[in-house]
Amino acid sequence: MTRKQKRLGLVGGVLVLAIAAVGLTLSALRTSITYFYTPSELIALADAPTRAIRLGGLVADGSVAYGETASNQSAMVSFVVTDGGASTTVRYEGILPDLFREGQGVVVQGSLDDSGALMADTVLAKHDENYMPKEVADALKEQGRWKDGESDY
Amino acid sequence: MVFFNDLANPVHFDRYTRWLFPAALGLAVLTGGAGLYFALFGSPADYQQGDSVRIMYVHVPAAWMAMACYSSMAIASVVGFIWKHPLADVAAKQTAPIGAGFTALALITGALWGKPMWGAWWVWDARLTSVLILFFLYLGYIALWRAIPDKARAARLAAILAIVGFVNVPIIKFSVDWWNSLHQPASIIRADGPSIDAAMLTPLFLMIAGYMSAYVAMLLASMKNELAARRLARLLSAGEEQMAGLVER
Amino acid sequence: MNRFAAIIKRDLALAFRAGGGAVQGVIFFALTAVLFALAVGPSLSLLSKIAAPILWTGALLATQISLDQIWRADREDGSLDVLVETSDMLAVTALAKAIAHWLATALPLIIAAPLLGVLLNLPENVIAPLVLSLLIGTPGLSLIGCIAAALTVSLPRAHLLISIIVSPLYAPLLIFGAGAAMAEPGSAQVAANLMLLGATTLFAAIISPLASAAALRSNLD
Repeated sequence: MTRKQKRLGLVGGVLVLAIAAVGLTLSALRTSITYFYTPSELIALADAPTRAIRLGGLVADGSVAYGETASNQSAMVSFVVTDGGASTTVRYEGILPDLFREGQGVVVQGSLDDSGALMADTVLAKHDENYMPKEVADALKEQGRWKDGESDY
Repeated sequence: MVFFNDLANPVHFDRYTRWLFPAALGLAVLTGGAGLYFALFGSPADYQQGDSVRIMYVHVPAAWMAMACYSSMAIASVVGFIWKHPLADVAAKQTAPIGAGFTALALITGALWGKPMWGAWWVWDARLTSVLILFFLYLGYIALWRAIPDKARAARLAAILAIVGFVNVPIIKFSVDWWNSLHQPASIIRADGPSIDAAMLTPLFLMIAGYMSAYVAMLLASMKNELAARRLARLLSAGEEQMAGLVER
Repeated sequence: MNRFAAIIKRDLALAFRAGGGAVQGVIFFALTAVLFALAVGPSLSLLSKIAAPILWTGALLATQISLDQIWRADREDGSLDVLVETSDMLAVTALAKAIAHWLATALPLIIAAPLLGVLLNLPENVIAPLVLSLLIGTPGLSLIGCIAAALTVSLPRAHLLISIIVSPLYAPLLIFGAGAAMAEPGSAQVAANLMLLGATTLFAAIISPLASAAALRSNLD
């Protein structure tokens, strides 16, 4: 082989590897590698995961209920996490983050019990990329433009 | 390019820094001061996060600068490696500690923000992990520079490392889009315009301008120091040689 | 091509002769697994949950400590100068060295991994994804490590420096590799992690020979 042929071979090899790497990445990103599952994804799973999982979604309106053990800050609480399609009940005992409220995004971590409810050991509040003063938020709500094109969870 | 060739001459570099350094420093104090005022007093609280949102004005510019510094370091490394431009090597070397500082600031303020908002100081999601890796890339780059005594060789080798490590920068940027992460997606650079209220954008942009000019000022000052140290080392070794020559005679 | 095979053959012979590094790497790997198990304590259920990440970390560390020898041995006996002078494409030579390192260091680890899995109570349905992820990911470890070894070859000793340089660059391989073994067996997550792992290794295969060659040239000026 001449030097030129070798160089061509090298460039060709690099090209083939690059195309393969990009192809693999693109097809992997189509099945999203998730920091958390959404309730719909969780239901779509063939068999329920046995190990600890993370679940992400919005806290359904009116679903937060404090259990009878509520004596101090660290209370038993249950709420429903929904992604618009499906929903999962979550039970948690501990201190909730400041941002936790109905309609707000959360990521909870724990394992599923027999009834399909998630026994969470960690509840993290997710906040979205929108920042605005309270007055603006109220005005938007009044005009009915609140959460226009809200991205999904 | 003429400008940069001109800069390669340390004497000319001195001439430019004489006015560029005070200008950058002044701009940093001005925009940073105004930015801090607006961030702490002159801007509204967030409808969800309340006053905690003010951490954003320190955190977001730091995170931007963490990536911007690495990118400039990689670009300076390419220039230094291909065109053997000594000033580019010095710029890359002196950017690393500054970038590491911005990265540490972003990580620390992020943790302080995450605890009240998310409920955790730290989570291993894609964005946080990739920024932590960026911090260690900076440290590895600095360590390599320090380990190699010969400056010219150290510059070439560290440049290779900086360029290889650059793959992490796009990963940081797109981590929140590729993976469902706990960290929120981009608020400013997005297709349909910023999702931050105008009253909050003012302090944010002021702070970004402040951080950038602070970076320029710190970089110029530390490049000047480095060049002076190298000149001193050259003079000392030349002096020693002369002394040795005298002794032999 | 002959030259390529000859380099690999020579390095393998050196690694597997008495006193070569290959066996020591496996012993080190086994010991990290044992130390982890001792630290975790007697809870078998906890151990079985974290067995796959322990084995991945152990394989990574065992690879890492052997990196210093990739170029240093050649530099010490003077053959590195010959290798560089006679290569008309140094990048291809660097690729051969990385492949030889993988065959000598990583392959024995992969063979040992299922056995150590027994010690760590690794669930049986995780063995296949673990071995597969090691097969796909460890070449990436050798390739990226080859760069760090080339960067530091002119220093008197560089074990610690190599670890500092290479660990952040290893992070994606560890994340996707252990991620494949930790995902629900048979789920789409396993495949997705393996694909990203493969992409990382392929990407390393592009960058590593070029960066290693550039580093060697800069070190031998």
